[in-house]
Amino acid sequence: MLQRILPFLTLIALAAALALATPHFLTGMNLASLFRQTAVINIMALGVTLVIVAGGIDLSVGSMMALASLLGCMAMERGSGIAAGILIGVAAGAAFGLANGVIITRMKLNPFIVTLGALGIYRGLALMISGGVPVHGLPKEFSYLGEGAVAGIPFVLILLAVCACAVHFLLARTRMGRYAFAIGSNPGAAYYAGIPVAFHTSAIYAVCGLMTGLAGMVESSRLMTGQPTSGQGYELQAIAAVVIGGGSLRGGEGSAAGTLVGAMIMGLLSNGSDLLGISPYLQQAIIGAVIILAVFLDELRKRRMGAAA
Amino acid sequence: MVLRLTGMQKRFGGVQALVKGDLEVRRGEVHLLLGENGAGKSTLMKIAAGMIRPDGGEMVWQGGRVSFRNPAEAQRAGIAMVHQESLLAPHLTVAENVWLGREPASRWGVLRRGEVESATRRLIEEHGFPLQPEWRVERLGPAGRQLVEICRALAHQANLLIFDEPTSALSDRESSEVLRIVQDLKLRGLAVIYITHRMSELREVGDRATVLRDGSTVFSAPMQEAGDDELIRHMAGRQAEGVFTRTPLPPGKEMLRVEGLSRRGVLEDINFSVRAGEIVGIAGLMGSGRTELCRALFGAEAADSGTILVDGRPVQIDTPRKAVEAGIALAPEDRQSHGLAAGRPVGENITLASLDRFSPGGVIALGRERAETGLIANRLRLKASSLDQEAGKLSGGNQQKAVIAKWVMRGARVFLFDEPSRGIDIGAKREVFELMDELARQGAAVLMVSSEMQELTGIADRILVMKDGRIATELPRHASQEQILRAATMGVTV
Repeated sequence: MLQRILPFLTLIALAAALALATPHFLTGMNLASLFRQTAVINIMALGVTLVIVAGGIDLSVGSMMALASLLGCMAMERGSGIAAGILIGVAAGAAFGLANGVIITRMKLNPFIVTLGALGIYRGLALMISGGVPVHGLPKEFSYLGEGAVAGIPFVLILLAVCACAVHFLLARTRMGRYAFAIGSNPGAAYYAGIPVAFHTSAIYAVCGLMTGLAGMVESSRLMTGQPTSGQGYELQAIAAVVIGGGSLRGGEGSAAGTLVGAMIMGLLSNGSDLLGISPYLQQAIIGAVIILAVFLDELRKRRMGAAA
Repeated sequence: MVLRLTGMQKRFGGVQALVKGDLEVRRGEVHLLLGENGAGKSTLMKIAAGMIRPDGGEMVWQGGRVSFRNPAEAQRAGIAMVHQESLLAPHLTVAENVWLGREPASRWGVLRRGEVESATRRLIEEHGFPLQPEWRVERLGPAGRQLVEICRALAHQANLLIFDEPTSALSDRESSEVLRIVQDLKLRGLAVIYITHRMSELREVGDRATVLRDGSTVFSAPMQEAGDDELIRHMAGRQAEGVFTRTPLPPGKEMLRVEGLSRRGVLEDINFSVRAGEIVGIAGLMGSGRTELCRALFGAEAADSGTILVDGRPVQIDTPRKAVEAGIALAPEDRQSHGLAAGRPVGENITLASLDRFSPGGVIALGRERAETGLIANRLRLKASSLDQEAGKLSGGNQQKAVIAKWVMRGARVFLFDEPSRGIDIGAKREVFELMDELARQGAAVLMVSSEMQELTGIADRILVMKDGRIATELPRHASQEQILRAATMGVTV
């Protein structure tokens, strides 16, 4: 039990330590900027949580995000209107995710390889259709998505909460979520129980794509441009958030709450290092070490459970 | 005398695999090691080959007491085992596999490739094996891979070769090739221990036979002095323990009918039917097609041709999903990989095949799910600390009950049990059999594959005996174990 809530305790300890170490941490401004910064990775990581629970992996989400949001921004630039533009970005993400899922399940290929290929394809397409140049000329009101606030609470925070609740509900209460756990825990048993494994796996990749598209639109709104180069390396941060939050790359484990905590831990490490004046070069190494430590602790828990059984 | 094993003992968890294993092997003889599945033959041989360490007993090899700590020590001493499932590196060539671990190399670790190939070629030519040193092992079938293993043993200068059911996966032509090689090795003065189930092979190659039963050596004699009947009697005379004897019902209407079911190289023209309320047993040796029949009926490895009728209606079954929709359930031999999502709660496993019913519109009615799951778990006397307990942490018997509960929840009408008592302790076995009886009483048709003969004779209303992918014969309830074994090994109708 202790180790199940360990990520959460770590987060609290980290926040407390930072609050004591620097007066600049617990300020409304810093916290709002912290949430805004981490929201994009966070939303993406929630989608990746679903894929990892189902025993898959999606390495393409970083470049998928760039391509999907680029399409949304190009639509807005051509006068589609804000709502339609956001919708296009989100729908494009869902379509790319579905494409990943269908290729993995129908061609029976390893998800690592398929999404590694997709990572290159989506990035290449994004650079090609934009000519490598960012899309400007977005409607001014579009910035509300990433920078707006409701009663002093950043809008992205509300959006993130809604996404987290949706993913939690999906995993805990719906048939799709139940099947995701079953497929991730033991694909053989799921198949032998008569579950349409390929259909549900594809659908899960599509939902992951959908959330990636949404994350992309938030990022575009914050930058007020559609960047063909955005999201580079985000896939690894998203996967790290899931894993720090208790998700297992062997499938069958993971939760929305865990991923939120995992993403926040990474956000705090980076924010705290900035405040304490730690070199950004060293930051990367610190986060890398935390990932290894988190997975090690999780392994210890599982080995102990294995020994008990 | 090259090898003498005396009073060998070995325990795996709760199972005493070897109680008193004795064996004496002479130079230049083919020594047959016989016994039912689970009699302890493989365990005894793994001890001789250094793969497992015994709990007690004495091993004398070429006049001196030995105790091997690992297979490498046994190989250096001259004992090699040719495995049933090949332990070769498929991406390497024949020659590379033969010399794996002992490659001739220069002082700097650079391989002498030419030497590896020529040494292998000499070996292959000397014994007349149909192999080439440069072939990659992945291209070889099971017979070819066994030849590579034999080459490997010869290259190690082995004095004793142990064959563990070498012909169980081979065609007739390949089998006779292996038997020829075994004869040839014997003539070269090597000792050979040969584990087999096929009676027809015994006379052809065997010089002496030793029979194991329930972990103890019960018989040993030269083949000229041992009759087939005597050997079978020693193999089969097994004491029943925790056996449940069922009282059959008057059977109801035909629930499952199979006509002309075939799958190339595995199943041939299978015909039978099971009525509601009936338990039909399927006996047969490993590789006889028992498990394959279950998998074909469940769509896991669909048949090429033939008809399956469930409750009078023909059904097309090419995936497990179709089988489940047709009302067929499978309790697989390997629960861990195909029966349960071990890391998930018991409750979730029980509703895994019938979640549609609890989730109209995709959202699960958790309360109703829990209530119904609890009812079924109680009915099946499934013991878990709660429905939230991880399925993988249940005892073997309760895991099997969870699998059964999953199909009862689904409302399956035809139950396939593949080795239902595998990995389950004696007390729980009885409970599982009682459940199977109960399923039949409630109108299900039950098909049960088992290699435990006393289970078949105790529970099945009639027994189909399979051999070489066919149903060799049908035996009535209470057929003797000897009758079953005779039909399974020789295919003879009694």
